[in-house]
Amino acid sequence: MSTSDESTSGADDAYIPRLADAPVGSVLATVAAILSSIGTAWIGALMLLIVADVVGRNFLDAPITGVAEIAARSVVAIVFLRVAAAILQRRLTRADFLLRRLERASPRALCLVEALFALAGAVVFALIVWASWPKLASAWATAEFFGVQGVFTIPTWPFRLITVAGAALASLCALYVAQDELRKLGARE
Amino acid sequence: AQERITVNIGSSHPENNIWVYAMKNTFQPEVNRILGAAGAYEIAWVESYGGTLYKFTDTREAVMDGIVDVGMVGTVWEGANMPLQNVTYFTPFATEDHRMIIEIFDDLSENLPELKDSWAQNGMVHLSSLITDSYDIYATFPVETLADLQNRKLNAPGTSANWLRETGATPVDGALTTYYTNIQTGVTEGTLSFASGILPTRVYEVAPELTRVGIGSMYFGGIAANKDFFDGLPGPVQEAFREAAAATSVAHGDYVADLAARALDEMQAAGLTIHELPEEEKAAWVNGLPNIIEPWLEQTGESGRVVLKAYFDALRERGATPLRNWDEGL
Amino acid sequence: MTTLAIGFLLIGLLVALVLLGLQIAYALLAVAFAGIWIIRDNLGLAFRMLELTAYSGIADYLFATIPLFVLMGLLVSVSNVGRDTFEVAEVLLRRLVGGLGVATVAANTVFAAVTGVSIASAAVFTRVAVPEMTRHGYRASFAAGTVAGSSVLGMLIPPSLLLIIYGVLAEVSIGGMFIAGIIPGLMLAGGFVVLLILTAAVFPRFVMSDPAGSRERRLDTGGPSMTVGTMIAKLTPIVALVVLVLGGLYTGYFTPTEAGGVGAFGALVVAIARRSLDRHKLWQVMKQTGVISVSILLLLIAASFYSRMLSIAGLPDAIADLVTRSGFGPYGFLFLYAAIILLMGMILDSTSILLIMVPIAAPIATSMGFDLSHFGIVTVIAVEIGLLTPPFGISVFTVHSTLADPDVTIEQVFSATLPFVGVMLLVLVLVALFPVTATLFL
Ligand code: NA
Ligand code: NA
Repeated sequence: MSTSDESTSGADDAYIPRLADAPVGSVLATVAAILSSIGTAWIGALMLLIVADVVGRNFLDAPITGVAEIAARSVVAIVFLRVAAAILQRRLTRADFLLRRLERASPRALCLVEALFALAGAVVFALIVWASWPKLASAWATAEFFGVQGVFTIPTWPFRLITVAGAALASLCALYVAQDELRKLGARE
Repeated sequence: AQERITVNIGSSHPENNIWVYAMKNTFQPEVNRILGAAGAYEIAWVESYGGTLYKFTDTREAVMDGIVDVGMVGTVWEGANMPLQNVTYFTPFATEDHRMIIEIFDDLSENLPELKDSWAQNGMVHLSSLITDSYDIYATFPVETLADLQNRKLNAPGTSANWLRETGATPVDGALTTYYTNIQTGVTEGTLSFASGILPTRVYEVAPELTRVGIGSMYFGGIAANKDFFDGLPGPVQEAFREAAAATSVAHGDYVADLAARALDEMQAAGLTIHELPEEEKAAWVNGLPNIIEPWLEQTGESGRVVLKAYFDALRERGATPLRNWDEGL
Repeated sequence: MTTLAIGFLLIGLLVALVLLGLQIAYALLAVAFAGIWIIRDNLGLAFRMLELTAYSGIADYLFATIPLFVLMGLLVSVSNVGRDTFEVAEVLLRRLVGGLGVATVAANTVFAAVTGVSIASAAVFTRVAVPEMTRHGYRASFAAGTVAGSSVLGMLIPPSLLLIIYGVLAEVSIGGMFIAGIIPGLMLAGGFVVLLILTAAVFPRFVMSDPAGSRERRLDTGGPSMTVGTMIAKLTPIVALVVLVLGGLYTGYFTPTEAGGVGAFGALVVAIARRSLDRHKLWQVMKQTGVISVSILLLLIAASFYSRMLSIAGLPDAIADLVTRSGFGPYGFLFLYAAIILLMGMILDSTSILLIMVPIAAPIATSMGFDLSHFGIVTVIAVEIGLLTPPFGISVFTVHSTLADPDVTIEQVFSATLPFVGVMLLVLVLVALFPVTATLFL
């Protein structure tokens, strides 16, 4: 697992360029970092929720209703909150053995390939946005919820919003990465 | 010459599931038979059973969006978009006769505008009703009086959690797949469930005491067609679908009845003891419940009143005596 | 062109794009989108299935296990539980021939039961075990190879991300996969121990830079010792976590998700109690958890879209047909499958291999009568071998970069790891031939 297995530390926020150097990149990266932090905190909250349910159910005869459903929706939310930052940090899993050879042979060709790949990512996430926003609109309009009337209900629109907004930001970030690669390509001439 | 029509048919559950069985084994062959006899049309079925295209949470969207043309739709999971169909879950102790539920909902889904429109608004045409057999308590202990439920933990997912209110029992979330280990490890002491579901999961091994409570048979959902697809079918094919759907309803009722009877036999042979909750205890249970239909009525408004009334009228017309008149005061 | 031919072309395209280095999630999503569009000749359908998959493809209680077990593994890694385990194993096994190597395997085995990622084991034990082994006269490359080799135990002994991912893709019980992994995991650990003792006894030059000196030190009765009380104190946290997680899972008291949540919380308590965690460090660990789990979860969304495209194309059925008619028989199929995975393992990462292969192979395996848990363990062992094989062997990379010793080249670590690959192949064959090794406790 190339991404997951890297040991990371320290320079986690290094992907945020300075506002003066790259205003668009800086704004995108800041928004991505904020969403990503929410996603990070959400993982902790999920752990606490599950522990609370286990304790409540076994020791207090008070299970928490809807934990399974909430946890299920949380998983998706965490992904879309964090994906834009992962794109900027270039942390999406890939097989890079050919790319590393290409880099040695021709760094400029690598920039071009990276730009194309990032564009592919921008398109893929744009497709998700295009596919998903109508359901966001209708979830809002019909007050769609999950859960059970009279037991617990949670509106779905915030979760659908996270999917749409997260994918939109991811698409923009991928575009920015493509532009950044092309800029490097130009700079190497 | 024969015209060939491609029909994508599918489900989130496998072919041997009680709600899918009749689709594969009655609906498809019946359509083929009827059209084959007439000779003008032929169906090319493309099957996607068993959740290969979508999960159980997405049965409505799959048919509505045309991912399949005909599919099993679990309205029980659609409390937000199709609440009217869930009236049975908010009116427990109505009837244990699952064939009656099929008959009533086949009729109402076609002839009661509120229900028919609800399917149409969701881009679907209702073809045939799907149900569960009656819910009872499978537990480590028999229930002789309501007091036996005090401080017990029972698996009761979703809407069924409502049925335990004011009984002193704590509802614990779960699914057919979790009951066995939940009970075995003492996470719960039993579950609210139905015979045809319990048999394959072998829950009776850890919960050998069945108390027949008669919470009743529930309307689970329907086999439905995508509306645009259905409206675009030639008249004779629509007719064939309707006719096959009627046969499917009968077959579904028979299949569930056979399965439930066989399940009880097999489980008893495997050591299950069956108890009957006395009538007065049942009455005490259902009358002790808070007015659980209230939030549902608030959500569904006038349409909800019409559906509830039509459902209870239909029950009584067919000779059922619901243990509580949930429609009182409408 | 038939639907099937289009399906095969799309798989070819996917493999080509992945090999070129396109982000795997992009490749899966793009190929699947195009596939549904072309096969059903319906662009709208491709959009609607994409929406359904993005919103609810991984909206499942089970998927919450992934961030939770990652968090647990990382918390355990920062709290020096691995070091303590190794120190106890070292004292107990020092006098054995190849004892420190065996201690590394033993500590790795125990550590594996509380972490879900091999890489955590590789990083922790490179720092802990390699310096000790070199100090006692082991060749640095051999020490590094031992750590890399035994790190794969982390993915086979439950909890394990690979077993979770397989369980999700093949739709088998994850709790069941965890239980199925125990015996093969122990077989692997046992095989490594035998390998280490034999090599140290028969080819001491391969193991030690100065075999005679090492022998003397080994038989020297002095050296570090440890009271039983200290041992117990050092082992208590890890044993408690193992009992909590595996015990809870095995008795069915916890669902896998609950085991993950409770395990992560337990690891947090251990880390705080040992004062190895301040607020800043905790946040770092959680961020790292996010990075690791989100990259996997995004892949799972993409893979579920891809496998839906495959079933629209009717591919699993068609390949199953082909395999059945080819006359390979179940075991012919299994060995062909394992061979393909081993080849892919040379160039691809573990998750990607599972994502590409399991949606196609699991339905075929079912139709050929394999138990899907057994099939999963065979799959995961084959995939794990890829962690150690060149040119792309992530466990070896991790050990090499964590070690950062200019005298130890990556080629040396790869070749020191090869004997471990041999043991893994042997265990792979044994598990493949004897399903009972996986299904005994199911
Ligand atoms: Na593990
Ligand atoms: Na490899």
